[in-house]
Amino acid sequence: MIELVDLTKKFKQIEAVKNLNMFIEKGEIVGLLGPNGAGKSTAISMMSSLVEPTGGDVRFNNKSILKNPASLRKIVGMVPQEIALYDDLTAEENMQFFGRIYRLKGYALKRKIDEVLDQIGLSDRRKQVVSKFSGGMKRRLNIGVSMLHDPELLIMDEPAVGIDPQSRNYILETVKRLNDERQMTVLYTSHYMEEVEFLCNRIYIMDQGNLIASGTKEEIKQILSAEKTISIKTSRLNGRFITLLEQSPTINQVVAGEKEVTITVSKEINMFPKLIHLAEEAEQELSSVDVKTPTLEDVFLHLTGRALRD
Amino acid sequence: MIWQILKKQGLMLLRNPVQLLLLVGLPIILIAILGTALGGTMNGESSPIDVKVAFVEHGDEEQQINRFMKDLGAELPPEAVEGIREGIDGLMPVSTLREDVFGSGDVSDMVDVHDAKPSELEKLKNDDSYTALIEVPENFTYNMLEYMVLDKPEQPELKISQNETQEIGVSIVNGLLEQYQEQFTIGTFLSKNGIDPGVLEQNEDAVTGETTTVNQKNPVTAKGYYAVGMVVMNVLFLASTIGSIAFHEKKTHVFDRIILGNVSRWLYFTGILLSGMIFGFLHLLIVYGFAWLVFGIAWPNLMTFLTVSFVYAMAIGGITVLLTAISYRINSEIITSFFSGILVTLMAFLGGSFFPIGNSSELLRAIGNLTPNGAGMSAYIGILRGDGIQEIWIHLLFLFMFALAAIVLAVVSFPKRGISG
Repeated sequence: MIELVDLTKKFKQIEAVKNLNMFIEKGEIVGLLGPNGAGKSTAISMMSSLVEPTGGDVRFNNKSILKNPASLRKIVGMVPQEIALYDDLTAEENMQFFGRIYRLKGYALKRKIDEVLDQIGLSDRRKQVVSKFSGGMKRRLNIGVSMLHDPELLIMDEPAVGIDPQSRNYILETVKRLNDERQMTVLYTSHYMEEVEFLCNRIYIMDQGNLIASGTKEEIKQILSAEKTISIKTSRLNGRFITLLEQSPTINQVVAGEKEVTITVSKEINMFPKLIHLAEEAEQELSSVDVKTPTLEDVFLHLTGRALRD
Repeated sequence: MIWQILKKQGLMLLRNPVQLLLLVGLPIILIAILGTALGGTMNGESSPIDVKVAFVEHGDEEQQINRFMKDLGAELPPEAVEGIREGIDGLMPVSTLREDVFGSGDVSDMVDVHDAKPSELEKLKNDDSYTALIEVPENFTYNMLEYMVLDKPEQPELKISQNETQEIGVSIVNGLLEQYQEQFTIGTFLSKNGIDPGVLEQNEDAVTGETTTVNQKNPVTAKGYYAVGMVVMNVLFLASTIGSIAFHEKKTHVFDRIILGNVSRWLYFTGILLSGMIFGFLHLLIVYGFAWLVFGIAWPNLMTFLTVSFVYAMAIGGITVLLTAISYRINSEIITSFFSGILVTLMAFLGGSFFPIGNSSELLRAIGNLTPNGAGMSAYIGILRGDGIQEIWIHLLFLFMFALAAIVLAVVSFPKRGISG
């Protein structure tokens, strides 16, 4: 359906996106994962024709849309990270305005507004000005507005950021339902791993403008198939203990937090005796030691050496 | 689509009470304050000083004249009496004082003369609202005629009671009475000596030198002046308000949504231009309408007024779209803030919104007329004075050219592609 080929964007000296290659097939929910500043928003802005790339191409149905983006724009619904609504207008007035932008009018517009308001659960708030809405309601309306023209491809840039868990679940369920019932293709960017794990069939992981991994959830987790993650919790981490862990030849990776250190080791190795020995040597008190099956978060940690929300 | 942009803009302005108050309420308040406070410094303004004078006449002037003529007939030959009768109309001292001095055009605006009966005298003396009480004694006219015509030695006198609490009013009344006395004395002297009083009138033809014509068709009141000054200044804030809303649309990616709806950016641009123009025009009509209803500032020529308002609204539209284009280009609201925070005040000062700066220097007047608000102000003031299009066309042409230049600059500045972010 849509393909990014060696897509690059430079802002003066900063290369925000570097030779990005990705594709989305019709009916998929694809996740684009990465920490803040990874280049996700720039990538989707180029994909939706809002930002001109410095290099590479965006192809829609095998045709470049860089020169003539109208055909892509017709089928794209964009949910920006910001609340792209008029605060002083009511939910219904916002929908009327954006519906007219999408050339809907008369009865068709009215029917569509009713339908979308129902889908996002704001029918009873249609006459209320947006400034009086809660954060979650604003987010839902932000999504609803982009669905007015029945887009085939919905690009969602962190649509559930900064809202309560209940509203987040509502949004995730809505996206899932749209995909199931209407085969709507969705590109979902987030730095919340659990959102992407819940929604997406395939995942792209970006960091510092680079694509660092891609594939299905299972394929990505396979990156850590030969390894296991051990999480060691303490009341206060001792610097000497970290140094000893880092110096140990059997440990592949050490990521230390304030009270927790996560190590990656080969699946075959029994690390418990060694860990107890190192803790004794460094006089480190241990609260708990957990062996975990790898998550996408662990993969990201493994690939970048940083947590997603760092 | 443009209608949708205009409708949305209108709703947003209406739903912002603070902004609405600043745009519409503030100029009305400023017109009231400045028009009242600075009224005295303006030409053509009616005086805020009210002088109230009571006239108490003991006896009837006409009866005294008739009695005087009758008594005169007993002493002088009929030809001489007839000659005196012909000239007597100019020698009615009480009527002259009441009608020619206190009742003359300019003075009557300031002095309120109340004719009272002698029985009211005590009551009037205790009434503090009166500035002066002029009491005409019994036989005043008769005695005055004797003094003037028959050279009797005793000159009769008016009795003047003054209210010392009204200093300015008292000095005005005294000034008028002194002037009256002087004129009457000179007139008497001239007529006694057979000289035509007309010789004292200035011969205008004899005056030589450069003559500057001052437009005094309709003097502009302070409220009228400040209504124009405040409106032409305040409507500039509408340009920055709409420019600000437009930049907010970019910042919150509403503009992206519009672009993704396959709406041409030039359609959006036109929507902003028309918003500035139409809401600017409505703003002018609303505030001037209010000024007409509350302060009585009426436009002698409505068509000329509407023409000036339309052309000025075009300039406002031009500024609106230029501010929008620059803020989109530099991705910052700094230009709109600079315009509303500093530039408007400077332009208002140069344009004469705060005081008639052009009166102090021709150069300043020329500079002021090179600002859109200054040109608009000159055109509006011209209409208030009674000028037609032919007298103010130069300001209209400037406003039109200014609007055109602003729109062209905005077209050049408005980013053509890739403006998300």
